[in-house]
Amino acid sequence: MKFLNSKNIQTIVIIVVVSGLLFLALSGYLTPVFNLSLNPLVSLQRWLSVRYLSARDFLTTPSDIVQLREQNAILDSQVTQLQTQLIEMEERLGEAQVCFALLDFGRTNPQYEYIAATVIGREISPFLQYIIIDKGTEDGVGFGMPVVTQQGLVGRVDAVIASAARVKLITDSTSIVNIQLQSAEIEAQLKGSLTGDLSLDMIPLDEVIEPGDVVLTSGLGGNYPPNIFVGQVLSTQRRENALFQTASVQPIVNFESINAVLVIDNFESIDISPLIPEP
Amino acid sequence: MISHLVCALSLVVFYTLQNAVFSQTTLISGTADVILLFLAAWSLQEQVENSWLWTIIAGVLISLTSAMPYFAPLIGYIGVVGISKLLQIRIWRVPIFAMFIVTFLGTIFQHGLFIVVLQVSGASIPWGVSLDQVVLPSLLLNLIFALPVYAVVTEMVGRMYPLEVET
Repeated sequence: MKFLNSKNIQTIVIIVVVSGLLFLALSGYLTPVFNLSLNPLVSLQRWLSVRYLSARDFLTTPSDIVQLREQNAILDSQVTQLQTQLIEMEERLGEAQVCFALLDFGRTNPQYEYIAATVIGREISPFLQYIIIDKGTEDGVGFGMPVVTQQGLVGRVDAVIASAARVKLITDSTSIVNIQLQSAEIEAQLKGSLTGDLSLDMIPLDEVIEPGDVVLTSGLGGNYPPNIFVGQVLSTQRRENALFQTASVQPIVNFESINAVLVIDNFESIDISPLIPEP
Repeated sequence: MISHLVCALSLVVFYTLQNAVFSQTTLISGTADVILLFLAAWSLQEQVENSWLWTIIAGVLISLTSAMPYFAPLIGYIGVVGISKLLQIRIWRVPIFAMFIVTFLGTIFQHGLFIVVLQVSGASIPWGVSLDQVVLPSLLLNLIFALPVYAVVTEMVGRMYPLEVET
């Protein structure tokens, strides 16, 4: 009976109680008791944790701001790089679109051979309408060659050096182009002006022309090939006692924003000036 | 020597800027002429002695590249520098004021000359339209750009010829 002394009994009771409690806990009978006892503890822990985190944030915020600023600077630089890339891509896309358009024009007019050129400057004097292109005699560009874009007629080569050429635009005040009106089959002269406006002259009074009529080159005079699109009639003017009527023409080419042109390589302009009688 | 080099390089820069940028930037039909402004500002500098030489060189080169007949740009630039030299003597105390006057008179002289030359060569250039559409807008643009061009040229000349400090 030595085994049943008070110490051993106490140990056995503790083991039985603990086993019972474990059994009750594992079987779920003690859950309400746990909830009741743990809720205040969790609340206390949450309260303490929130305060601790607030205090930690307060103490560590300055270093975070520095880090955030650094990250912000890195992101800013990345955004700038991406924007630069985007602008470059847009520029390349624009150039590609121009090239595709010029290629389309070449395909639709296969009878001509073209030299593609980029516009690199304009005439210094504002009284004259000339552009400078980056192709010259080394590339096959010659004096008098017609110059077009995918939209229509631009002008003709006025002067040329080895690596560049000067093109006289049809809007120049000294430019005269022989044209035909597609709808009425009327031939007339297209003249430029100081301000870059185009007008038709030498239209017989008995001919009827309407706004919107298409203006094409006629090929007369030998300076330009026939049937190149020039523009559309904007309005007509008839003056009393005048021998001919005139008309304003809206050019199809936007001469303010020409970036690239095509020089027609295989068209030989004809100088008919010796045939014109002197006054 | 350094003065010639700086002037030559500046002319190349201004010529390129003129052809590629300023001639394509129009106000109505007028454009600024930064070569005219450069030559005017250069010739207004007291220390510079080679302004006539470079005016002739610039005028000849531009006359060769321009479609303007009869070397009109050369005559125009010589006229501008002539006005500039006259004013340099008379209005030497306020050079920026002289720059504006040279720009005003020089632009009018140059454009008037261009109109006459083009009319002589057979172009249809009416005076009224030229004044409204080209001369006045160009004059305004030249007056706007006169100050920055003058500032740049003065800075360059100041670096070439630093003032002697009396000890």
